[in-house]
Amino acid sequence: MNEIGGIYQLIVRIGEYSFHFNLTAIAMTWIVIALLLFFGYMASRRRHVLPNSMQVVGELLVAQFYGLTESTLGKERAKSYAPLIVALFMFLLLSNWIGAIPHMTEPTTDLNTPLSLGLMGFVLAHYAGIRAKGFKGYIKTYFEPIVFMLPMNLIGELAKVISISFRLFGNMMGGAIIILVVSHLIYSLVLPPFLYLFFSLFIGTIQAFVFTMLTVVYIAVQVD
Amino acid sequence: MAIEGVDLIHAASYIGAGIAMGLGAIGPGVGEGMVGAKACEAIGRNPSEAALLTRTMLVGQAVSESTGIYSLVVALLLLFVV
Amino acid sequence: MEMDIQILVKLAAYIGGGMAIGFGAIGAALGEGYAASQADMAISENPEKSSDIVRNMLIGQAVAESAAIFALVVAILLLFIAPQDPTIVTAAALLAAGVSMGLGALGSGLGSGFPAGETCTAMVKVQDPKVLSRMTTVMLISQAVCQTPAILAMVIALMLMFVGFGGPDPVKAVALLSAGLCMGFGAIGSGAGSGLPGGAACQGIGRQPEAQGLLTTNMLIGAAVCQTPAIFAMVIALILMFVNLGDVPFNPYWAAFMGAGLSTGLAAIGSGYGGGMAAGASCEGIARNPKTVGVVTTTMLVGQAVAQSPVIFGLLISFILLFKGYGEAFALAPGMALLAAGICMGFGAIGPGIGSGIAATSAVSWVARNEENAGLLMRMMLVAQAVTQSTAIYSMVIALVLLFVI
Repeated sequence: MNEIGGIYQLIVRIGEYSFHFNLTAIAMTWIVIALLLFFGYMASRRRHVLPNSMQVVGELLVAQFYGLTESTLGKERAKSYAPLIVALFMFLLLSNWIGAIPHMTEPTTDLNTPLSLGLMGFVLAHYAGIRAKGFKGYIKTYFEPIVFMLPMNLIGELAKVISISFRLFGNMMGGAIIILVVSHLIYSLVLPPFLYLFFSLFIGTIQAFVFTMLTVVYIAVQVD
Repeated sequence: MAIEGVDLIHAASYIGAGIAMGLGAIGPGVGEGMVGAKACEAIGRNPSEAALLTRTMLVGQAVSESTGIYSLVVALLLLFVV
Repeated sequence: MEMDIQILVKLAAYIGGGMAIGFGAIGAALGEGYAASQADMAISENPEKSSDIVRNMLIGQAVAESAAIFALVVAILLLFIAPQDPTIVTAAALLAAGVSMGLGALGSGLGSGFPAGETCTAMVKVQDPKVLSRMTTVMLISQAVCQTPAILAMVIALMLMFVGFGGPDPVKAVALLSAGLCMGFGAIGSGAGSGLPGGAACQGIGRQPEAQGLLTTNMLIGAAVCQTPAIFAMVIALILMFVNLGDVPFNPYWAAFMGAGLSTGLAAIGSGYGGGMAAGASCEGIARNPKTVGVVTTTMLVGQAVAQSPVIFGLLISFILLFKGYGEAFALAPGMALLAAGICMGFGAIGPGIGSGIAATSAVSWVARNEENAGLLMRMMLVAQAVTQSTAIYSMVIALVLLFVI
């Protein structure tokens, strides 16, 4: 059971503060990024009317999520936000899937990854809101329906960041721990691979989609 | 194990925070589910209004979630202020 | 002192036996009552079929009673058991066995009443005797599937009664009690929930006899998935019973073990029932339009998987509580923080689990009616379920704060 607690940490001390870096998560994030860059290169290397297999997968993903963003945000805004949404989904999907490979861990099991992605969505949504409604209109939304709702509205907005990031973290971390404990309990060859299939691939896909979709929807709510 | 005043107050505030958030989460959970169910039904009937329905659903859920957020605030107050 | 412990063990066994059959009888009685009421209504609609309906009702009630019979067996065993070495651990184990079986039979008894009742209702309009006998068969299969959570609870109860758990260690006693509570609570939602697809499938066969194969398969898949929370609860119960953490101090470990059991056990109620609701809607949808079976089953599985997020959060908190490791505490507050974390996560997951199930129900049934917009509906369902779960996430955050910040 030692694996649960053992995190490879790099601790940097500056003055009286110490910064903890989770090296596994950082390395895994870079591996995911490298894989995605490689995929992007392969998919767009020889663009052709008759696409190769990589290009088909890439086109499918981009078309699906472009359409999805367009139907939620409208044609004009989709142009500026869709690339980010597609990239977010691909990053999360690969991050969640990579845990199915032995000796790899999902970067999403470290709370910092979902939290920073959630904060990114939060900042983006509010930036979009200010741009769409102007600063005055944006501030006004916090005093609706009555002035006294200001603190509740503020907490509600912050709670969105918490819920979106902890949702992904809780699901992925829960799955990882269940797999670990079950493999320790039964030493079986059959069940852990099946659990990997379920938690990493199935739940991972759904949660990546939910995270992406919620980011789009939060932008849409701020824009109107 | 001697139970002193401050210790007792801390213990009570922790257990109070747990109960406040735990029980407070039940109602909004079911309520938001009902909002979601009706929104799905509305989309089934009239798919062309999907964008408007999604936003309406989110606003409705945000409002029904407010009691859950009150619980969260009370729990955090119990944990860090009391 | 020797005498005291023996009295304590007897006391625990008797209270456990009372709880086993006391709680265990509630579910079966409600389920059988539901079956009888539906049968009465059906007969009043079509008195000519009364013999078929009454026969079916009696068969269904007999199977619905099996959960209560498990509870009765455990209760009688508890009354006459004479443990080899009576210690405080034995006393806790016997009490926990009763709690596990009693609470565990609640859901299955209630759930297996649904198929019986719905079959009686659906029999009114069916003329073909072949279809009638097939409906009874499917009802029996679905009721048997419904019993799984009660059987899991019985397995845990029997283990608690007959496995020796070693010397008089008060921490172990609390851990066993928590294991019983975890399994007992964890079986309620799954037991009651897995009756819903059975009921819908039986009613569907009455409407569309040719879709019997599809409906049975779908019912079995849906019921199996909605029993995952009960299996999670069993995993936690087994860990609490058999994983030996060595010589640990009583305070705060008692609270950590109790919290771990309550967190997963209570969280499983909502997710189990919610998953069952989604499965029921999918059987109903397939009966309405058998051609949509592929997309309806997919939507159901996705909906059930997301509805299980709350119980996964519960498991996460349980595992952290179990394996975090604590130093000995000399005050009440550290222990209370751990117990509060478990209670917070457990209760907090009930509502969101059921709510996600409600959202999935509506989405699944509208996918069957409006197949072209299945993608749109699934997207909507995912967003709705995700937002529904935010209060479960707040509970998890409070639990994590109680665990790591306090």
